[in-house]
Amino acid sequence: MTAPTAAPTAVPAAPESLSPLNRLVTAAPTAGGRIHAARLDGTRSLSLGELYERAGRLAHHLRALGIGPGTRIGILAANSLEWVLLDLAALRLGAQTAGLEPGKFTPSRELMDRYGLTLLCTDQPTDPAARLPGTLSTDDVWALTEPGDGPEEPLPPVTWAERDVTTIKFTSGSTGVPKGLGATAGSIDSSLEAVQEIFGHNPDDHLFVFLPLSLLQQRYWVYSALLHGHDVTLTTYEAAFATLRRVRPTVVMGVPAFYETARRQIEARRRRPGAGSARQVAQALFGDRIRYLWTGSAPAAPAMVRFFTEEAGLPLFEGYGLNETCIVTKNHPGAHREGSVGRVVRGKQVLIGEDGVISVRSAHPVGDHYEYAAPGDSEKVFMPDGTVRTGDIGHLDEDGFLFVHGRADDVIVLDNGKKIVVRPVEERMKADPAIAECVLFSPTQTDLVAVVSPAALPADTDAVTAALAAANAAGTPDERISRVIVADEPFSIANGLLTSQYKPKRPAIQSAYAHRLHNQEAGIHA
Amino acid sequence: MPDTLTAIESAAREQLSLVLIPEVAAESLDPDADLAAAYGLTSLNKVLFLTELCEDTGVDLAHFTEHDLAAMRTLRDVTAALTRHHDDTPGA
Repeated sequence: MTAPTAAPTAVPAAPESLSPLNRLVTAAPTAGGRIHAARLDGTRSLSLGELYERAGRLAHHLRALGIGPGTRIGILAANSLEWVLLDLAALRLGAQTAGLEPGKFTPSRELMDRYGLTLLCTDQPTDPAARLPGTLSTDDVWALTEPGDGPEEPLPPVTWAERDVTTIKFTSGSTGVPKGLGATAGSIDSSLEAVQEIFGHNPDDHLFVFLPLSLLQQRYWVYSALLHGHDVTLTTYEAAFATLRRVRPTVVMGVPAFYETARRQIEARRRRPGAGSARQVAQALFGDRIRYLWTGSAPAAPAMVRFFTEEAGLPLFEGYGLNETCIVTKNHPGAHREGSVGRVVRGKQVLIGEDGVISVRSAHPVGDHYEYAAPGDSEKVFMPDGTVRTGDIGHLDEDGFLFVHGRADDVIVLDNGKKIVVRPVEERMKADPAIAECVLFSPTQTDLVAVVSPAALPADTDAVTAALAAANAAGTPDERISRVIVADEPFSIANGLLTSQYKPKRPAIQSAYAHRLHNQEAGIHA
Repeated sequence: MPDTLTAIESAAREQLSLVLIPEVAAESLDPDADLAAAYGLTSLNKVLFLTELCEDTGVDLAHFTEHDLAAMRTLRDVTAALTRHHDDTPGA
């Protein structure tokens, strides 16, 4: 953080020359737009101007608690207006935030010490007997945003410099404790500008956000609303489908698992007599104002993207990026190609190594190391020149569209030297609706063995057997799956076999089914 | 009330059948089976099912909180909860 030395002058509207984040903290939004927090039992709503004013009052209270430059607030709560107010108040004070996802973290002294938190704001009960000082319940936040009796004093001005870290974000990695990474103001500004350049969000837009605000990218859509005057609705993953049709958004910020559920629902409804076209059924689910659907964070099946874009008339745009790089590529209305994750956005450069591994160079890097990780983790990902080695393999086509084939460590090398990229093989199995997930292993390095997560219990073993035959018929001889082990229960976050972003945890699945993977008699044989 | 119960149960069976993958026939559903354990109903699909069911039966979904939804573990729980609120909803 850098604090200006000269006394500030009153600025009625933030000059366009300021960076997006500095515009957010300098002046109230001048365009219209509202923010809504939707739950099953109702919606709270306020103008973006009021949001700015309330964040300012909260900032005064937090300042009195010692929050300012050099301090950090942890926010451990489900999506809510309070979450947004705390985040904006921290930005206004030049303080860092740490977005802590409920379910992954629990409030404790140890948590506060581990991440250097001056204040922990949470919607979870804290043990009064433990006398956890430095905590603030989100239930008490709203009262701190109400107007006081006297005139409202201006806050000390802040300026976010490009390399200042505004927030700590945590990777939802497939193993172990989440890694923490500081995100620079420059990387956030760069991503906000790049997204706006290709999607042109405007006051007619209404963005629908249901993924946790602890993921920095989900907060971008609030920043975008403040900068460009559009509406934004926050809800939760569980309530998303119930609130979607009530909200009638123009843009939905989702992930593949959400759209896959929607696709299955649309197709099931279409089987009913007189259900109408795919477009009509999709409109009933998503509302009638959709301009586009956003997906990222995990690979989307090409058939699903095609279904939404072509059959349902709701363009679904896939992109690519990691926590360590922010948004790297994105399909968008002006440039999209089936099967790709889009062209490289402004400020990013994609490099494909001789081994096919994708590396990313940024004009404004997110960071150059992990702040919280095991020794050696940073060096594996961040190169000395700031380039990020993603661990994904892919290629760029002649028009600059990126195609991601899979994880470099998801390549199985058989003892005959053949390299098998597992994702296309797994996708063939997942094409069957009875199979929710498929993960390939090669316990003896001679053949492929799949562990599949059934879509429902009891598992439809006939369908799995048929899917195995179909996948083997469609693949090359080296891609032949010799056995399939049907998981005892569907992979889930609760049983530790899916990440919070609904990606299979390969090492955990391998460990859970190790015995059957190595037992040649186990499973359904090809 | 018995007619309401029958109508809601019938609608609940049909709507649940639609969200299950693979589909289970409405008449084969066990009203006392755990929806997640027996039928693999995910939290996303549960909300989809209840949203459609409320729309079908004219019960306002706003009667329920996320906590209420979590407490509905079987088809019988769902039918009972909707029947309770059916009479509170004007026009339902």
